[in-house]
Amino acid sequence: MDVRGAPPDAEVVALVLAGDTEAFGFVIRRYEAGLLRFAARMLGSRDAAADAVAESFVRAYRHLASCREPARLRTWLYRIVTNRCKSHLARRSVADVSLDDAPPVADPADTEADLERADQLVLVERALADLSPDKREAFVLKHVEGLSYEEMAAVTGERIPTLKMRVHRAREELLKVLEDHA
Amino acid sequence: MNVIDQRIHQVLDGELAAEAVPAELRRAVAQLAAAADLLAAPPAGAVTSLESRVMAELRRPAPSRARRVMRWLVTPHAIILRVRPAWSVAFAAVVAAFTLFTAGQEGPEPAEHEGIAQFVGRFPEAQSVHAVGTFNDWRAGSIALEDQDHDGVWRATVLLPTGTYEYMFVVDGERWVPDHLAERLVADDFGRENSIVIVRPDRR
Repeated sequence: MDVRGAPPDAEVVALVLAGDTEAFGFVIRRYEAGLLRFAARMLGSRDAAADAVAESFVRAYRHLASCREPARLRTWLYRIVTNRCKSHLARRSVADVSLDDAPPVADPADTEADLERADQLVLVERALADLSPDKREAFVLKHVEGLSYEEMAAVTGERIPTLKMRVHRAREELLKVLEDHA
Repeated sequence: MNVIDQRIHQVLDGELAAEAVPAELRRAVAQLAAAADLLAAPPAGAVTSLESRVMAELRRPAPSRARRVMRWLVTPHAIILRVRPAWSVAFAAVVAAFTLFTAGQEGPEPAEHEGIAQFVGRFPEAQSVHAVGTFNDWRAGSIALEDQDHDGVWRATVLLPTGTYEYMFVVDGERWVPDHLAERLVADDFGRENSIVIVRPDRR
């Protein structure tokens, strides 16, 4: 989705709050890819992620006036999606957090490297799903979404040392799985 | 707990240059970085944008809290049904008897896995009322209520597969209203209330 030339977040927020509902489309186009990826990694399902992110966008729109720092809209959106994912996870057992999307079907044109990469992705996804939700959230925010620890603290409401500890533990568990399958 | 060398964390946290650690540690760093890259890559297959879905929801008029309270206050049935269970039972009995009577005379005949759902709402000023819900993918138009005697009470009796459905009324094509006479109400994912109807198999 092309969002080049779109106004900055603070301007978009002002437009929406002034009654321009359509301007919220800028917000969706700008952030949906990252939020969907984050939610999919948290929930282990693309469909559940799409629902969580769609609901989060609607909530964000309805409560946009409470976004105290429109220039940091991204962090605020991640916070809403994070809470949405937690609610979703709370409604089902941890054991359910597995990949319910079908694994990619091999294409005849796939090279050996492609197939190896697909296998590795399945392994990493399963290892991620085996982490506790707190560790999974910390690892994905840090290493998949590229947030700083300060941004992660704003998203999760946790202290930076706590988040660092979770990221460290997540790395250790993932590395063990990767080395066991090396 | 499988504790790994702290220098791996320092490199991954940007506190230490990768060149400053031994080769065996750099391998672990590379493994974790590669795992993160895999997770960050766009998923295979087409990804449908959420924009149209979300914008459709945003354009759907959301009644204000005050308006919902006002509507609640001016709907006497809802208040009576909630505070006087005996009246609720009597009303339900009348509705059930009416439904059975009309269904028995000239109503639709349900198949084995179907049941009769009756939608009733009081909208004195309305020009049109439709029932929309999970039974018709929230599309207005397929179940139109009628007010044949022009008393402001709109009705529709339809056959639906047995099951539990969420629904709302769409008044004049634009006002979405929950049915407070429904068996129960549930909050939907967008912070509003949907009504619930349970369609049971016909036992005649």
